Amino acid sequence: MAKYDVVVVGAGNAGLSAALQCQIAGKKTLLIEQHNLPGGAASSFRRGRFEIEPSLHEICDYGPANNPGDVRNILDAYGVKLEWIEVPDCYRCISTYSDGSPMDVVMPAGIGPFIDAMEKYVPGSRARMETLFDLFQEVLDGIAYITASKGHADSKVLQAKYPNMLRTGAYSTKKVFDALKLPQKAQDILSIYWSYLGVDMEHLAFIHYAAMVHKYVSRGAYIPKHTSHQISTAMVERFRELGGQVWFNCRAEEFLFDGDRLCGVKTNLGQIDCRYVLANINPDIIYGKMMPKELVPEREKKLSAARNGRFGGRMYTAYFCCDKSAEELGIKDYNTFLPGTADSRKEYENIMGGMKTNDYSIFLCYNVINPDFSPEGTCVCSFTTFGSPVDWNDLSQEDYFKFKTDGAKKMLRILKEKMGVDLTGHIEEMAVASPWTFARYLNAPEGAVYGYETADWDGMMARMMMLGQDYPIKGLRPIGAAGPRGDGYSAAYICGQLMAQSAIRELNAEEGGNK
Amino acid sequence: MALNVKVGLIGKFDMLKFKNMAKTREKAIQAAPAKEVKGSFPINENAKKLHPDCQRLVVDEIIDHKSAGAKTFVFRRLDGEPFPYFRAGQYLSLKLPIDGSFVTRSYSLCSSPKDALKGKAAITVRSNPGGFVADRLLAELNVGDELTASDPQGFFYYEDLRDADTVIGLAGGSGITPFLSMARAIRDGVEDFKLTLLYGSRDEESILFKKELDEIAAQCPKFKVVHVLSDAETAGYEHGFITAELIQKYAPADKEYSVFLCGPEAMYRFLKPEIAKLGLPERLFRRKMIDVTKTPWELEGYPAACRDKVFDLVVKQGAAEYHIKASANEPVLTAVERAGIKAPSRCRSGECGWCRSKLVSGTVFVPQENELRRWADVEYGYIHPCSSFPTSDLVLEVPGEFY
Repeated sequence: MAKYDVVVVGAGNAGLSAALQCQIAGKKTLLIEQHNLPGGAASSFRRGRFEIEPSLHEICDYGPANNPGDVRNILDAYGVKLEWIEVPDCYRCISTYSDGSPMDVVMPAGIGPFIDAMEKYVPGSRARMETLFDLFQEVLDGIAYITASKGHADSKVLQAKYPNMLRTGAYSTKKVFDALKLPQKAQDILSIYWSYLGVDMEHLAFIHYAAMVHKYVSRGAYIPKHTSHQISTAMVERFRELGGQVWFNCRAEEFLFDGDRLCGVKTNLGQIDCRYVLANINPDIIYGKMMPKELVPEREKKLSAARNGRFGGRMYTAYFCCDKSAEELGIKDYNTFLPGTADSRKEYENIMGGMKTNDYSIFLCYNVINPDFSPEGTCVCSFTTFGSPVDWNDLSQEDYFKFKTDGAKKMLRILKEKMGVDLTGHIEEMAVASPWTFARYLNAPEGAVYGYETADWDGMMARMMMLGQDYPIKGLRPIGAAGPRGDGYSAAYICGQLMAQSAIRELNAEEGGNK
Repeated sequence: MALNVKVGLIGKFDMLKFKNMAKTREKAIQAAPAKEVKGSFPINENAKKLHPDCQRLVVDEIIDHKSAGAKTFVFRRLDGEPFPYFRAGQYLSLKLPIDGSFVTRSYSLCSSPKDALKGKAAITVRSNPGGFVADRLLAELNVGDELTASDPQGFFYYEDLRDADTVIGLAGGSGITPFLSMARAIRDGVEDFKLTLLYGSRDEESILFKKELDEIAAQCPKFKVVHVLSDAETAGYEHGFITAELIQKYAPADKEYSVFLCGPEAMYRFLKPEIAKLGLPERLFRRKMIDVTKTPWELEGYPAACRDKVFDLVVKQGAAEYHIKASANEPVLTAVERAGIKAPSRCRSGECGWCRSKLVSGTVFVPQENELRRWADVEYGYIHPCSSFPTSDLVLEVPGEFY
């Protein structure tokens, strides 16, 4: 029978990161993945002569060599190398301001240029924007300190060095923006990234939003040259190089226990003995389906009940491969946010109301920053929005294909109205991924790739503070979007590493004890 | 001035609030009931029903097309569930244990998607002397027999956002099956486009589904069928092969049309220059991908010295390891299947990527027309064994399977 120190279940971003971390620490590690590809949503697929990126818009925490972000540092530490492309602008947004007036802004990367652009669109915003960015920086430093302290942050240090983080950290983004007296129009422009976290500004912790926006603006965003499948495959190959083993199309069916301690995994490729499992699986699925019910701790049942199915980011994405170049089609920007309104609460409600009311989408064209992304004279575009259980829970198979396409048609219409760009008549290949699709490939509850909403009491910082209390099962730790860092590529790589480090410490302590 | 941000009136309370975040969270958790965690969700269940890992099917009915040397097998699900809904033009990959091998074969669904809701789905198998599977199915598969199949697969279907309103379908021999499904779907109101089918057969006798095709055409103005006979000159039929000229004869002269193609390899080779004459943009030409060639040495770039050689192949799957032989004349997948290894595969054309495997060492030849791998897979040495021919000894890691 196969025997390992650690089995990482699920080769999503967190799983890949965790597997590399464990192997580097000298643990005999097996990575199993239920699909025949690594990466989960960090993947790609082919249609005709095109290769399509399913999920990645941009990575916010990679950064240039002279100002590396966490993701660059992590991949460097793992020895994972691949070619990256810098995204020049943060975003374009075509929408309406909260007061109903039209918005069309292009926000560049770099703190100086970003604040300059804001001053141009919202005259008089400069001083408050500078204060905001100072605050962002302090928050970021504070989070770094808390993360490094691994749950033992010294409150004296926090009070001395990060007082503003402490004073703002427990509030929603909206509350802090108001407290800073940021003009409403500047708030509207700043709030655009909300959808990357899936929680509107009234419910999203400021500290979480601050960390993300600061990274995007100060370090710029990056994408791999050849889709996120390239990142995932590069990580798998590095893991192999280090001696790790990977089994694809290998599904964990059940976690096996010796008393209250995990001792193995039952899979379609046989039983695997191990001392530890890092599971890139949503805890609801682990507790509900993959382990003996009597071993699920009371508090974990309560945690799940308290979250009450409040999942974030049920993805809906339409992909179009066109037989004209971006230039010929009149597409100038890499990513354009096209929400109906900049009021994130309203947009959130429209989204949750289903496709009828949902007027949110993000439009991307990869060729704008990567001319080689598809054959000459062609381009690949995508629209991303969120699905709602209202639409997808009870949809019949008979209506499914048409409903999927109708959503794509709506997005094409919005694109034409707002940007004057018409893709119809140029579509050579297309695909639509619905929450069903993401549920199928990732097995994420409701196709929600963002895990549980990092809203209100269950925000990122609160989860970080309770690392030791959540998921107290011996030898088993869930990792991924449901974890302390929430959703997103960067968060998943960081979470995978963080949780693997904890597992390694526990295993080392045991080994020390045994000697 | 030093940064000094307060949200509440008194910043101290804000700090306290920060410190208490963990307590607040714990309170919210403790206030919830300790209910059993449910691990299933409607969206996930829907996805599983539409795309099961595999399905156990029972042969419910067999229709014998004697003069055409073919049979239609109508299946129902062993578990009594409806058959997953699909797009007309998609295929099933059958997973068959034959003489100690585990082989897959893809067959286009010829039934209407509407029948799937009633729990039925059908494929048509035509005799293929010298082949490994078709004639065995024709001779041995009986009503009541069970077999395993994939979910509906493939991208050969109509999409109104992409394709022109009018489709000229080019079918050869048993390549009629996806078009029959489309015609039935148009009849049933599931699909809404104009389909003019140019259907090549040897003679009147060997036309599959002639009666039904003509019936649908008679009752459904959106569907039209033109029979093209290669070996017989019969009144009321076109004679010869399908050519650019013939396509233009039936295509609308004043507006865009799409061309869809499904037929045997010889037909693809013949039609390639004919289609080129039409001057269609690529977006208006779609073809059903077919099994990789049986004569790779006829293709450009094939290392001629490899032909007829036999190489050593090590296959790793999970903890298991197999040492087998692989002929240079066959795709790597065939050698794996022959050894009785349950390796994944579906399309056998390089398109679906389901068989994607890590080539740990060795070299393979991939025909240009089947080179449909992802960038990173080419970069990091992953191959699709269904469409790769060994050109040296190989070590291969294959994924698991779920049946």
